[in-house]
Amino acid sequence: MQIYLPIAELPVNMFTVFGMGGAVGFLSGLFGIGGGFLLTPLLIFSGIPPAVSVATVTTQIVASSASGVLSYWRRKAIDFKLAGMLLASGVVGSALGVWIFDILRSLGQLDLVISLSYVTFLGTIGVLMLIESARAMSRRRAGGAHHTRMPGKHNWIHGLPLKMRFRQSRLYVSVIPIIFLGSSIGFLGAVLGIGGGFMMVPALIYILRVPTNIVIGTSLLQILVTMAAATFLHAVSTQSVDIVLAMILMVGGVIGAQFGARTGQKLRGDQLRLLLALLVLAVGVRFAVGLIVQPEELYSVSVVSGRLP
Amino acid sequence: MRRLAGGLVIAAALLACASAAKAESLIAALSSDKVKIESNFTGTEIVVFGEIARDAATVARAEPYDLAIIVTGPPQRTTVRRKGRFLGLWVNRDAEDYRQVPGFYAAHLTRPSVDMATRPVLEKLQIGLHNVNLPIVGKSNVPFSDRDDFRDAFLRLRIQNALYAERIHSIEFLSQNLFRTTIPLPSNVPVGEYKVTTYLLRGGALLAAQEQNLTIAKTGFEQLTFSLAHRYAPIYGAAAVMLALLTGWLAGVVFRKD
Repeated sequence: MQIYLPIAELPVNMFTVFGMGGAVGFLSGLFGIGGGFLLTPLLIFSGIPPAVSVATVTTQIVASSASGVLSYWRRKAIDFKLAGMLLASGVVGSALGVWIFDILRSLGQLDLVISLSYVTFLGTIGVLMLIESARAMSRRRAGGAHHTRMPGKHNWIHGLPLKMRFRQSRLYVSVIPIIFLGSSIGFLGAVLGIGGGFMMVPALIYILRVPTNIVIGTSLLQILVTMAAATFLHAVSTQSVDIVLAMILMVGGVIGAQFGARTGQKLRGDQLRLLLALLVLAVGVRFAVGLIVQPEELYSVSVVSGRLP
Repeated sequence: MRRLAGGLVIAAALLACASAAKAESLIAALSSDKVKIESNFTGTEIVVFGEIARDAATVARAEPYDLAIIVTGPPQRTTVRRKGRFLGLWVNRDAEDYRQVPGFYAAHLTRPSVDMATRPVLEKLQIGLHNVNLPIVGKSNVPFSDRDDFRDAFLRLRIQNALYAERIHSIEFLSQNLFRTTIPLPSNVPVGEYKVTTYLLRGGALLAAQEQNLTIAKTGFEQLTFSLAHRYAPIYGAAAVMLALLTGWLAGVVFRKD
């Protein structure tokens, strides 16, 4: 069934979009990620203008993270103080991101920056996760106990000034890396239309050494607020949030996420991380190919304004 | 002033009638002067029909009548970009800005435009895809030798998106004087004010022209959403966030296991 999108100004097949939302929702439930890094490229490849795709996916992420936040809240697995620090800096980062997004779009280099960022971040994180999960699997096979959290072992991050105590996470760390992390993920989220969970979760675990059971809830809350801010800012500055598209994606996404979460409980942590690493890498490679291989059509047309100057 | 000009035109026309007995006139109409875009819009078509009226004084001539029906959409400022290799990557390099190019263009012709009239006449009337006026904004950094490549690419991409079209032999004659043509409007047709112009030519000269207005507009929910998003952007943004939170919360409640 075709439905006309009022902001994107073109019709899409409702079931295709619903299916995309559902499939990405399934993966997001399975891996505990927002799935924006999959959904945005999917929408762009299916012909929806990049600006509308990016802005609308931020709305979809609000919905998908909201149900997650609720369930982690009930289990008291959120460090509100840490999340507060992350998201205060995240909002600043996403405001900056929306501003840069507008500039890049008018320069015609938005696609390039999106592609390059996808290649860089997905490539790096995919490789890191692949190594980590392969190590964890081989360790498990060797029979040794594995430690992801090393409370006694400090790195240079823990030597920075302006320390603050986070009771729930049992942490005493500098606010500098937290602000840096929050703002850079907020920035990337607004420019790339991703929640950044797949970057935030490993960063919190490996850099700040936040306990794993607190990480996902806290990261989801941070994503929820940053993406809500990004939706609002996109709506105000680029007017490219398509509420009809968002609604179809949201409904598909939340349903898919439930099935994903159930499947996820049947798989082991290292297996899940290996699968996610491969998925992240695959998307990164797809973007790299687009940059390196000579495109069939060298020209592109973009409408600057539909109205008379 | 306008009345004076109108009077002059009429006087000139009468004079022309009297002197050359060139008496063809044209009547044309649209099946609908308003296209509404609703949630189930997947494109539509409009029918242009009309009659070539000849009076008794019309001299039968060897050359056939030529008809050109031109539909032009709202003007847009458009940028065409060309990718080039930069440090091993394919990135957008050169760009050409076009000012006020039609957002939609369809030409329905009785025969190829080159056979109808000379290039200046066709360009003036914008008959045929290759005679569409594509003015460049200010100065451009595109080398002169590449201008045509950008122009061709623009037309090619617009044709691919079904926004530009030229259809030869697409005007059907129901009788010697009655004609009809069906112009498809694709699903991605831009909204705005359109002009449908019917030209009657013979032997390279314009005999008559008729212009109709066509409005393509969103209606109902689509119009409401669009105007809300543009006119009350903060409210729209807040509503989108609330809707997302509500959906997430509902899902959390519906699928709650404990």
